[in-house]
Amino acid sequence: MSFVAGDAAMSAETVSTDRAARLARCLERAREGELSTLDEAVRELNPLLWQVARAQGLPTEEASDVVQTAWLELLRHLRTIRSPQALTAWLVTTTRREAWRVRARSRAQAHEVVDSLESRADDGPGLDELLLTEERNRVLLRHFHRLSEQCRELLGIVAEVDRPDYSVVAEALGMPRGSIGPTRGRCLAKLREMLLADPQWSPP
Amino acid sequence: MTDAFDQPLDDVDVAILEQLRVARRAVDPPPAELDDRVRFAIALTDVEIEVARLQEDVLVGSGARATERTRTVTFDCDRMTIMISVVDLPEGLLRLDGWFAPPDRRRVELRLASAGSAPVSWDVMADEDGRFVFQGIGRGLAQLLVHHAQDGGATVVTPSIVL
Repeated sequence: MSFVAGDAAMSAETVSTDRAARLARCLERAREGELSTLDEAVRELNPLLWQVARAQGLPTEEASDVVQTAWLELLRHLRTIRSPQALTAWLVTTTRREAWRVRARSRAQAHEVVDSLESRADDGPGLDELLLTEERNRVLLRHFHRLSEQCRELLGIVAEVDRPDYSVVAEALGMPRGSIGPTRGRCLAKLREMLLADPQWSPP
Repeated sequence: MTDAFDQPLDDVDVAILEQLRVARRAVDPPPAELDDRVRFAIALTDVEIEVARLQEDVLVGSGARATERTRTVTFDCDRMTIMISVVDLPEGLLRLDGWFAPPDRRRVELRLASAGSAPVSWDVMADEDGRFVFQGIGRGLAQLLVHHAQDGGATVVTPSIVL
């Protein structure tokens, strides 16, 4: 997959506006009892929720269960959720909490399993196995995994969500509202600095 | 409204974030069936539900012959624990034995979506010990609903599992 910076910026902008509007319509109709309209929200938000569950170090089967449980939990909370931003934030918060719960249970059951999970999460899942067609992607991920856990989690989510709602989502990470912008700036600057210093990576 | 602390991103920042999104999705994509599993699980008529989380999913038995294997799955929520055991029957069918605690005579619904066909539902009544049986069911995505008792309350719902 390839992209050009200008196109990426423009399409990200357009996509984010479209997506917010689509999610708003889904949510409104689902709250009126038409649950099948959530199908579109599932397609839109699952890649993000998947990343959130995996960032907690869960293997694929457990991560799938956690994402599914979060959607099921959503049903009885639907009427309290008023905006697409709130929908995204609620699902991220719930996915993360469910992932902790599963991780804590695994830890209680078997320490050694959790240890291997955690080291896998740190290394970046599947990084070695998957043949990345673009060297630039590989270089980027290598530097990304050198960032702190907090930076990885925040940037991972920021990369997936619309610009207007990521402050809400970052709140779902339990960070003080005022620290989100500076933290994002610091993490992104750090990643950018490492990338620019790497001759194998060229700015797009 | 733009937040004061929300410093603008330049083209390189935007491109890095976009590349990050693309690269992570390429390396660790959600499983292909995840959307279907979620859509099936939330296609419910009643939203007054309590979710029983998957606690354990184990395969026991010799494994030498398919008919000797038993899969045991446990779900749990504040109000109830549900256990099911699934055994293979001839001709690719399954028998599902289940029970829940605390026991009660409640209606138990099994939703099942086999590949390429619309989801179907079966209903049985649990006995006073909370036991129930579904005999001769097909394979596919399955979800259990333990409906509320006479005195009302929420329906307990499990996530979907692959049978």
